[in-house]
Amino acid sequence: MNPLAHLIISLTILTGTTITILSSHWFLAWMGLELNMLAIVPILAKNTNPRSTEASTKYFLIQATASMILLMAIFLNNLTSGQWTINPPHNQTLSTMMLIALVMKMGMAPLHFWLPEVTQGTPLIPAMIVLTWQKLAPLSIMFQIFPSTNTSIILMISILSIMAGSWGGLNQTQLRKILAYSSITHMGWMMAVLYYDPNITILTLIIYIFLTISTFMIFYLNSNMTTLSLSHTWNKLTWMMPMVPLMMMSLGGLPPLTGFSPKWAIMQELTKNNNLIIPLTMAMLTLMNLYFYMRLTYSISMTMFPTSNNTKINWQLKHTKPMPLLPPLMTLSTLMLPLTPLMLTN
Amino acid sequence: MTYALFSLSIILVMGFVGFCSKPSPIYGGLVLIFSGAVGCAITLYFGGSYLGLMVFLIYLGGMMVVFGYTAAMAIDEHPETWVSSADIFGIFVLGLMMEMTMVFLLGGDPVKTVEIVVNYNTVSSWMIYEGDGPGLIREDPTGAAALYNYGFWVVLVTCWALFMGMHIAIELTRGGG
Repeated sequence: MNPLAHLIISLTILTGTTITILSSHWFLAWMGLELNMLAIVPILAKNTNPRSTEASTKYFLIQATASMILLMAIFLNNLTSGQWTINPPHNQTLSTMMLIALVMKMGMAPLHFWLPEVTQGTPLIPAMIVLTWQKLAPLSIMFQIFPSTNTSIILMISILSIMAGSWGGLNQTQLRKILAYSSITHMGWMMAVLYYDPNITILTLIIYIFLTISTFMIFYLNSNMTTLSLSHTWNKLTWMMPMVPLMMMSLGGLPPLTGFSPKWAIMQELTKNNNLIIPLTMAMLTLMNLYFYMRLTYSISMTMFPTSNNTKINWQLKHTKPMPLLPPLMTLSTLMLPLTPLMLTN
Repeated sequence: MTYALFSLSIILVMGFVGFCSKPSPIYGGLVLIFSGAVGCAITLYFGGSYLGLMVFLIYLGGMMVVFGYTAAMAIDEHPETWVSSADIFGIFVLGLMMEMTMVFLLGGDPVKTVEIVVNYNTVSSWMIYEGDGPGLIREDPTGAAALYNYGFWVVLVTCWALFMGMHIAIELTRGGG
């Protein structure tokens, strides 16, 4: 792509989400979503092979459908309430309609099937953008309209997402698909607590974004796409061997790492509200998630011989992909748990 | 007016049925132009004479020509039509039958149907309730001037969105990475 065109398109991805987040008018919020969706399509289709084209077409069709459902809900909301301000709609049907549109946009179960396909069809960095930045705009609208949505529907969607993310990722060998399923699970956790404490949703989102960006960046360094390629890392980037398992454990939510902090807060909040079965179910289902992270851990760091190494080590060339942000990101995504009391303000 | 609106609404939905079952992009564009014109006529019936005319001139005159030619660049010389394949024709007829069923389910009474489809009346739909109190949106050149004056940021964002739509459509169709 032409560098100037690329710059304009990247700026539009940024402005689209920003317009959606900042606007108090339904129409502008919708316009931001559309700008965002339009601008990501050429980024997804940057590698002009059939797989990328297919992925970007899938993304476009799904997002356009969701946008149209949202726009229809917005118009009907204007018709019934006579105003354009982003308030929780008083009409239950319209609330549910908006919820469905946003769930479709965020790639949550039962409308999640496009997300692994799109993520798998694009290179690592566009896949990372789809899994992180593209969640912000729909989630910000969700954040504004959740008081009028049906709690049972939200909780059902959350648990379904956690289930779909956990079960779907079990048999995958492709890293991008695994991360897409992990994203579905995390979105489920975020939505589960939305009704009880939306601040925890934001905390979960921020930590999820940190984790996903650093995982993708570390895979991008070595262009790792499959589980098999991870087992070659010890010879190429030896320092990745302890780092990737830590990230994986953090994504899975094991206690001494950052990933535990949102799960802790969510389970505590749900328990405080006398929900016992739901956090239990969520935690049990997320164990399956932990299983496939463990499998990645196994193939990256436990496939070495326990003897002294007789294999010739690869020549270590100077890095062509400088990543100054990777060390701080990795620190944040593994060691931030002690800061949890600072992040939970109440 | 109700009967005209009823007929126009039916033609509008017919246009969208034709669009959904389009045999090739170029006829899709044609039907979109057709539906756009009918939509402008509906706006006209709601008292938006200036707005209807403007939308007709700008949307159809400008945007559709460019999009039509962009689409035309990407397709073949002898495009398929609705009658060139039994499947497409069947889907088109099925869509029309669905529409007719819908109309007859609603009673087939134009007044009732129009009320269900477009629950507007001419005056209150031009009202706004934001700000200090209710106000009227003027749909004449004064209203357009106000749009560019008070709402210039919205116009800017809208222009940017339209430009990006155009730019990305061309960026994707020109190919070649």
